[in-house]
Amino acid sequence: MDAVEKANTARQKRWVKDRKVGEGTYAVVYQGREASTSRKVAIKKIKVGQFKDGLDMSAIREVKYLRELHHQNVIELLDVFSSKTNLNLVLEFLDSDLEMIIQDRSLVFLPADIKAWMAMTLRGLEFCHRNFMLHRDLKPNNLLIASDGQLKIADFGLARDFADPGHKMTCQVITRWYRPPELLFGCRYYSSAVDIWSVGCIFAELMLRTPYLPGESDMDQLKTIFRALGTPTEEDWPGHTKLPDYVPVGQFPRTPLRDLFTAASGDTLNLLSRFLVYEPRRRINARDALNHAYFFALPHPSHPSKLPKPAAQTSRPLEELDGNVDMAGAGPGVKAAAPNKLKRKLTSPDGTDLRPLARRLDFTQHAKHS
Amino acid sequence: MATDFWASSHYKRWIVDRGTLKESRSDDLQYVDDPEYLDFFAIFFANVITKLGKKLNFRQRVIATAIVFFRRFYIKNSYCETDPFIVIAACCYVAGKAEESPVHIKNMVAEARLFFSQQPYGVKYFPSDNSKLAEMEFYLVADLECDLTVFHPYRTLLSICKKESSNDLQTEAGEVGVGVDDGPRYWGSGDGQLELPDDAFQLAWSIVNDTYRSDLCLLYPPHLLAITALYLAVVLHGPTRELLQQQSHSVEATPVHSSPRRSSRQSSSTSLGHAKKPSQDFVAFFADLNISMPLVATIAQEIISLYTLWERYLEDSDLVDSARGTFYGHASAQTQSGGSHSGVSTPVESLDDAQKPHGATPTFLLQVLTRMRENKLSDMAHASSGRPVAVNKMLERTQAAG
Ligand SMILES: Nc1ncnc2c1ncn2[C@@H]1O[C@H](COP(=O)(O)OP(=O)(O)OP(=O)(O)O)[C@@H](O)[C@H]1O
Ligand SMILES: [Mg+2]
Repeated sequence: MDAVEKANTARQKRWVKDRKVGEGTYAVVYQGREASTSRKVAIKKIKVGQFKDGLDMSAIREVKYLRELHHQNVIELLDVFSSKTNLNLVLEFLDSDLEMIIQDRSLVFLPADIKAWMAMTLRGLEFCHRNFMLHRDLKPNNLLIASDGQLKIADFGLARDFADPGHKMTCQVITRWYRPPELLFGCRYYSSAVDIWSVGCIFAELMLRTPYLPGESDMDQLKTIFRALGTPTEEDWPGHTKLPDYVPVGQFPRTPLRDLFTAASGDTLNLLSRFLVYEPRRRINARDALNHAYFFALPHPSHPSKLPKPAAQTSRPLEELDGNVDMAGAGPGVKAAAPNKLKRKLTSPDGTDLRPLARRLDFTQHAKHS
Repeated sequence: MATDFWASSHYKRWIVDRGTLKESRSDDLQYVDDPEYLDFFAIFFANVITKLGKKLNFRQRVIATAIVFFRRFYIKNSYCETDPFIVIAACCYVAGKAEESPVHIKNMVAEARLFFSQQPYGVKYFPSDNSKLAEMEFYLVADLECDLTVFHPYRTLLSICKKESSNDLQTEAGEVGVGVDDGPRYWGSGDGQLELPDDAFQLAWSIVNDTYRSDLCLLYPPHLLAITALYLAVVLHGPTRELLQQQSHSVEATPVHSSPRRSSRQSSSTSLGHAKKPSQDFVAFFADLNISMPLVATIAQEIISLYTLWERYLEDSDLVDSARGTFYGHASAQTQSGGSHSGVSTPVESLDDAQKPHGATPTFLLQVLTRMRENKLSDMAHASSGRPVAVNKMLERTQAAG
């Protein structure tokens, strides 16, 4: 056994897999622990399959970025090791996610709780953007919550860097309800502002306890946005009618946010409106958002340990639920994530609809402008 | 990704010292007649990757990443126990994905097979099914420890020379500036900017390309390679050199900064405004950078020894983006002006025509490689299968690991 093998074997022995807790597009996730300390961890085993198509692009992105990013509000990759024909990522174990919390009707959110989650999200995101990294899939389901209440940005399968400006990128990113209008109009040169729009949608969802802009298709998404925020004028967003996929989707009047968010403070609504600015250049950035009056006004953000948590029994299901995914909504070049595996039971608050799955791109078809 | 270099996997795990490099070649050294052949391998395989990368329409950055992956892989593996051609294909395949220029595995296999089957390589055994490449990809990523973010000198080069405004690129209404300030500039000098003529800048760029033909990318942080390339370009570029000679400063007066590891936040406040002078004071410019000039001198000498070696490497079609040609013309000038301030003699001085040994060609190097692998194989009693050695060895390893 040479030195390289020895090092890997040592790393492998350091971690113990206990039981399967979930499955994503390209990985099976186990609960495990560090052998010496019994610290609880998640072990994400990347499926290499029969070496048919090479490593999934999402897997490559996830390891690439998680190996570099270390921040309190970004999920921590503790170690990597290989076993037989698998790559294993050792991640900190996170019991729940913001989506589960939002959907748990037994929980009551105080404005201070929402402020705490927003601050943690923005701190993690500011760190990503400062390091020239776009997340491109922010949504409550990807904001995981540690047992001490800390929020961690996770799922870097769509992340990419933007340090070299002027690179054409795909606009088929971000789960539809959280996708900004410039991407829906086919913009291929974009930047950190796309993530900020998603943060705005999450902020609204925390207050409403239901998705703010739940479009049913890409076209309907634009209509849903404009219905809520008014159709943008040339003055609101100069040049947007020249974007590649621009289509007029009807004229809707601007209604004050106050009409929907009746209980929100002035600072809250001001910050929300700055996240949801149409013109990407004028949308607030993560750093300025953290310095917004909202975060300095009373009430102070709740301490993470005091934040609402789902009751133990409503925590993540241990095994996958099987189900069929409706792929009808997938646009060209887009395929649904895990065709016959539904990651989690996702019911809307009224208990009817399944939420659309996060969509994954087939990037091999987008090689020219990813 | 442009994370802080000092916090990166590149800095923390993949900058190694000469001792480690030597250790990593110990197995190969047992099977090679002349250790120098291994240095020729470094040039040869970098050229193979560059040419294959061009066939795949890779940007320079993707090619550079593939070469760095290749070098990192061979810190942990030996040439005589692996098949460098399948490793090269895997490096290009992973680099494409890591740099957001993915190539479909089918195309990758087809391109690599075709390219390697041609002269001078004549590799007939390159596997035609995807699974072998996918398998190699897995071993590669595992040996890279999933560290897929590679820093390169190009960005430093561009920002020092303010060429970042290569914004002849089209923009759309949705495009925003980065939305954040530029990250900290770890090479120091807050507002220091080098005003280089375009051809001198091009020369520096080509020198950076050439550094990938050695282990320099494993030994030194990329921003130091960029600064050294600029330094050499200033010294070698005719008109710029004349300007330099007119300036009264002597190179010996260059102050040395204590540590290369300070961030620009500190240094920007201490930086002087020399770069703003109408006729630029190059010496002062380099002095202002928050880096160790003796280290730059050392790297410069290593680059010169690379060119010295490379002069004896003969490959039919030379690559156009190399600074080789310029270099030989000025090598002596370099020795006098650039190499003087560290007191260490450069290898160029010892290279008299009389003692110039024989050169190396791709064909010759492939024969060397074949002989090494045959000898290694006959030493390993149990290794009799006809499959590529890389895969065999890797399988044994993973089986041993359980
Ligand atoms: N760090 C973690 N701690 C605890 N459980 C986790 C962790 N990461 C993932 N899981 C569980 O494993 C499941 C699969 O996660 P994974 O990130 O592979 O896929 P996903 O994000 O759900 O789906 P997709 O791959 O389509 O994005 C999750 O739904 C979750 O239940
Ligand atoms: Mg996910």
